[in-house]
Amino acid sequence: MIPRIVRAPGSRGALLVALIAASSLSAPARQASAQQAKSKSASFDRRIVPTAGKTPELRVPTWTKLALSNGAQLIVSEKHGLPLVSFQINFVGGADQYEPATKTGLANFVASMLTEGTTHRTGDQISNDLQLLGTSVGTQIGAESGRMAFLSTKDKFGPTLAILADLLENPTFPADALERLRSRVIVGLTQNRDRTAGIANAVFPKVLYTTDHPYGRVTTEASVKAITRDDLVAFYKSYFQPGHAVITVVGDVKADDVKQTIEKALAGWAAGGSPPSFAYPPAPAPKATTIYLVDKPGAAQSTFAMGEVGPPRDTPDYYALRVMNEMLGVLFQSRLNHNIREVKGYSYGVGSGFAFGRGPGAFRAGGEIVTAKSDSALIEFMKELRDIRGPRPPSDDEMAQAKASLVQSLPANFASVNGINGSIASIYTQGLPEDYYKQFARAIGAVTKEDVVRVAQRYIDPDHLAIVIVGDRAKIEGPLAATKIAPIVWLDIDGNPIANKVTP
Amino acid sequence: MSLRSPRVLLTIAPLLTPIAVLASQQAALASTAPSIRIPFEKYSLSNGLTVVLSEDHTTPTVAVEVIYHVGSKNEVIGHTGFAHMFEHVMFTGSGHVPYGTHDKFTEGVGGTNNGQTSFDWTRYWETDPSNYLETALWLESDRMGFLLDSLDDAKFRAQRDIVKNERRQSYDNQPYNRDGEVIRLAMYPSTNPYSWSTIGGMTDLTNATVEDVKQFFRLYYAPNNATLAIVGDIDPKQTRAWVAKYFGDIPRGKPITRPNVAPSPLSSEKRLTFEDRVQIPRLFIQWPSVNMHSEDQPALDLLTDILAGSRIARLTKALVYDAQSAASVNAFQNPSENVGELAIIATPRPGHTLTELETQIDSVIARFKREGPTAEELSRVKAGQQLQFLNGLQSNLGKAFQLAEDQTFFNDPSYTFRIAYPKTQAVTAADIKRVANKYLGSARVVLSNVPLGKPEMASHADKSTVVTDPFTEKTTSEAKP
Repeated sequence: MIPRIVRAPGSRGALLVALIAASSLSAPARQASAQQAKSKSASFDRRIVPTAGKTPELRVPTWTKLALSNGAQLIVSEKHGLPLVSFQINFVGGADQYEPATKTGLANFVASMLTEGTTHRTGDQISNDLQLLGTSVGTQIGAESGRMAFLSTKDKFGPTLAILADLLENPTFPADALERLRSRVIVGLTQNRDRTAGIANAVFPKVLYTTDHPYGRVTTEASVKAITRDDLVAFYKSYFQPGHAVITVVGDVKADDVKQTIEKALAGWAAGGSPPSFAYPPAPAPKATTIYLVDKPGAAQSTFAMGEVGPPRDTPDYYALRVMNEMLGVLFQSRLNHNIREVKGYSYGVGSGFAFGRGPGAFRAGGEIVTAKSDSALIEFMKELRDIRGPRPPSDDEMAQAKASLVQSLPANFASVNGINGSIASIYTQGLPEDYYKQFARAIGAVTKEDVVRVAQRYIDPDHLAIVIVGDRAKIEGPLAATKIAPIVWLDIDGNPIANKVTP
Repeated sequence: MSLRSPRVLLTIAPLLTPIAVLASQQAALASTAPSIRIPFEKYSLSNGLTVVLSEDHTTPTVAVEVIYHVGSKNEVIGHTGFAHMFEHVMFTGSGHVPYGTHDKFTEGVGGTNNGQTSFDWTRYWETDPSNYLETALWLESDRMGFLLDSLDDAKFRAQRDIVKNERRQSYDNQPYNRDGEVIRLAMYPSTNPYSWSTIGGMTDLTNATVEDVKQFFRLYYAPNNATLAIVGDIDPKQTRAWVAKYFGDIPRGKPITRPNVAPSPLSSEKRLTFEDRVQIPRLFIQWPSVNMHSEDQPALDLLTDILAGSRIARLTKALVYDAQSAASVNAFQNPSENVGELAIIATPRPGHTLTELETQIDSVIARFKREGPTAEELSRVKAGQQLQFLNGLQSNLGKAFQLAEDQTFFNDPSYTFRIAYPKTQAVTAADIKRVANKYLGSARVVLSNVPLGKPEMASHADKSTVVTDPFTEKTTSEAKP
C-alpha cells in the first residue's frame, strides 16, 4: 500500500462545553438499559461522557511586514523546527479583474504557460531543474486572486527562488505549447460534459448570473478557442506586477536574511501595477423559483445545484451567515446532510455554502441524489431551506457545535508552513484586518440564534431560487413536476434554453 | 478506497513514500537528517491491542486513528463491498455512544472524523483539539467493544442505502471509474478477493443483512486485530492511562484467519473493450506486479515516476509533447498486502486513436527495457522524496496513518523511514531496468474504454472483446447518447 496522507480542512468555533456535555447526557434511555450489565462489569460507567480539559488558547502565528524596493509587500513568518520554507507571491485580483469577457480561461492558460519556457530555459529544462531541487513551482489564478508558490527544503530555497524569478520575469509563451495546452483543455471540457456534476457546475452560475456578469462565465470550448498568444502576453504584462503583489514566506528563515535574498533574486522584477478595482456589475434581479432541468440520459444519479445571488464577503452579516450555514449544510450532522443522507438515504452527501467573493457571490445548496428520489429530495431541500428561516430555529446544541466547529478548528490551519502561509496570504488577498483570526473568534462567539434566523430570512429565499437538476429526464421530470414546487424549464448541457420545453 | 463521508474535503496524495538521498546530496542532508524520523513509542495491551504514541506540540491538536487489519480482501463471493459497508455502520453509534455523538465530539468541537476502507485495512480517525483526546478514546473504544449493542435493522438499512448511493456517485455515474473493476476481473479469477473493488457489487450490497454485520464484527473487530495511533499534543503518561482505561477491558478476539491469496495467474495478454457514457475514449494497460513486501517494490515505484511522473518522463515526453497524440498519460504501481498491479492510463487528443497510443507506449517501453534509465532520470525521481517526507511530518494525521499502517503490515511503525527509505535510496539504474523487463511483459490486460455503441474505437478492436461491469446496478440503463 502506498502510504498516503489526508489533510483535514480548517476553520472552526467557540466552545460551550457545558451545553454540549449536558445535551449528550440526555441520550435515549434504551441505550443505557441495554448496557447495564456490561457497564457494571467495568470499573467505570461508559455512559458518562469524559469531561474535556481546558480549551486551548488560540495561538495565531505572528509575522513581520516589510517592503521590497519594487513596491511588493513582503510578509515573513518564522517557523523553525523543520528545515522547510513555504514561498508565495500572492496577487490581489484575478481572472474576474484581468480577463476579457470573451476569453474566459485565459488566466489559467497564462498560469500553465509560465513553465513552458523562458528566455533562459526550455520547458524541459524547467522541469528538469525543479525536479533536481526536489520541488515544483505552481501558479494558480483564481477569480479574485492568484499566486506563484513553492515549498522547498531550507537548503534549496535560494536555487528554487532563482527559477521562480526566471518564470516570473522571462516567460516566452511558445506558440506550440499554447496549441498543446488548448487541445488538453478542450479534452478536459469535453470529459466534464460527461459528468452530471460537471454540467451542473457550468450551468448553475450561468443561470444565476448570465454571461453578462463575471460570476456567470465559465470556460467553454469557444472561449478557449478564442485565446491567442497575444492575449497571453497582454494578460501576463498587466497581471504579474509587484504593485499588487504580496510575497509571503513562512518557515525556517530569518526575516532580514530572507528580504535580502528576495531583493537579489527578484532584482529584475521592475516596479509597476496597482491593486485593481473590484467593482462588479449588479447581479440580475431574482426570478421566481424555477427548476432548470438538464437531460443526461442514463445518469445513475441526479446532480442538484440550487441557490441564489448572495452577499459579498464584506457583508456585516458574514459571521452570522457562517454560523447559519455551518448548521444548515457544512457539518456532517447539519440539517441538510442529516435529513437527506442519514435519515432518508437519498444521497451520499449534500451540503450548502456561500461563495463570499468581493462581489455578490452565490449561495448554493445541493449534491448528488439517487434518480428515483429526485422529487422526494427536492421536497426535503425546500423544507430545510424554509425551516431555518424561523419555523425551526437553531437549538442550543446546533449553535454550540457550529461555533466550535468554526473557531476551534483554526489551530489546525497553523500546523504546517503551507497552512500558515495560506492563512496569512488570504488576509491580504481578501483585504481583511491583520488581527482577523482573533476578530473571527470573537465575532463568531457573539452570533445569537436571532442573528441566525435573521440572516437566513434575508439571504435564503425559497421563493426565488434557481434549481438546476442534471439527470435522466425520462425518469425524473414527471415526479419533479408532480411536486408542484416550481415550473420546469429545459436547458441543454451548455445551459441554453430549449425552445417550447416548459412544464407548467 | 472508499470513504465514509464525501463532505469532508480530503486531499489524499501519495506521501511519506520512502526518501531517496543521492550520494551527492549526503552532505546537504546531514544537517536535516535528525528531523527525518517520527519519534514514537509502541506498546501492547494484554488484549492484543497495539498502541503507538507520538508527541508533537506544534498545535494544540491531536489525531487518533484505529486501523483494523481487515479490508475487502477478507470478503467472500456474494458479499463484496461488505468491509466498506461495515465501516459506515461504525458511525451509527455504539453501546454507550448514541447516534450523532461521534460527530458532536469531533466536528462539533472543532475537529474532524472519517473512515476509509482499502483491500487490506479499514481505518477510522478523529482529529480534535487536544483537550478532547479522552473523549476521542472513549468514542473509539466504545465502537470497538460495544458496536453490536446498539445495532438495529433500521440503522443498518439506512447505511446500506447510503453506500449504494456512494457506488452510484463514485462509480456508476463517473465516466471511466468502472475501468478498474473490469480490469481486475480480467486479472484475477473471481475467487480471488482482489478481483473486486472495495465498493463491491450493487447486488451484493442490496443483499447484505444485519446478521452479516454481527458476524463480521465478531471475526475482525477485536483489539488483537487493531492498532491505535495517537499523534499530537499529548502527555504520554496520561494518554497511556486513558488508553488502559477505555481499551483495556475489551476482550481479545479469536485468532484471525487470513485469506491465502495467490498472485495473478495471468500468463498472456487479454484485450477488453468497455462501453461507457463518455465522448473521449481512454486506454488502460495493467500488468500484475508485486505486493508491498516485495524487494522489487521500491524500484517499481520509481519506475512509474520515470515513465509518467513529469513532463519529461518517458511516456509523457513521447506521447504528450513529441507525438502530441495524448492529452495525458499516467502510471502507477499499486502494491497491496498480497498482490500488486502496475498500470498506465492514456487519454488521446482529438484525432488520435487508442491503437496509436498503445503502439507508441509499447515502443517507449521496449526502448526503456533495452536502455534502462539515465543517471539523471534516476536522480530526478529520487530528489523530491526528502521534501515530501518533511512536509508529511507537519500533519498529525499523516503521521498517525504512516505509523499505524507500517505497524499493521511490517510490525514496525518506523518501517517507512527506517527500512523502505534506505532501500529506495539504494535503487540503481540496473534495478529499474531489471524490474521493467521482469514485470512489463506480455502478460497484461489492455482495456479500451470507448463511447457507448462504438466498440470499433478500441485499440486493435478486432482482437478486443466487449465486456460489461457485472458490479453495476442492473437497472442503470446504458442509454445511447
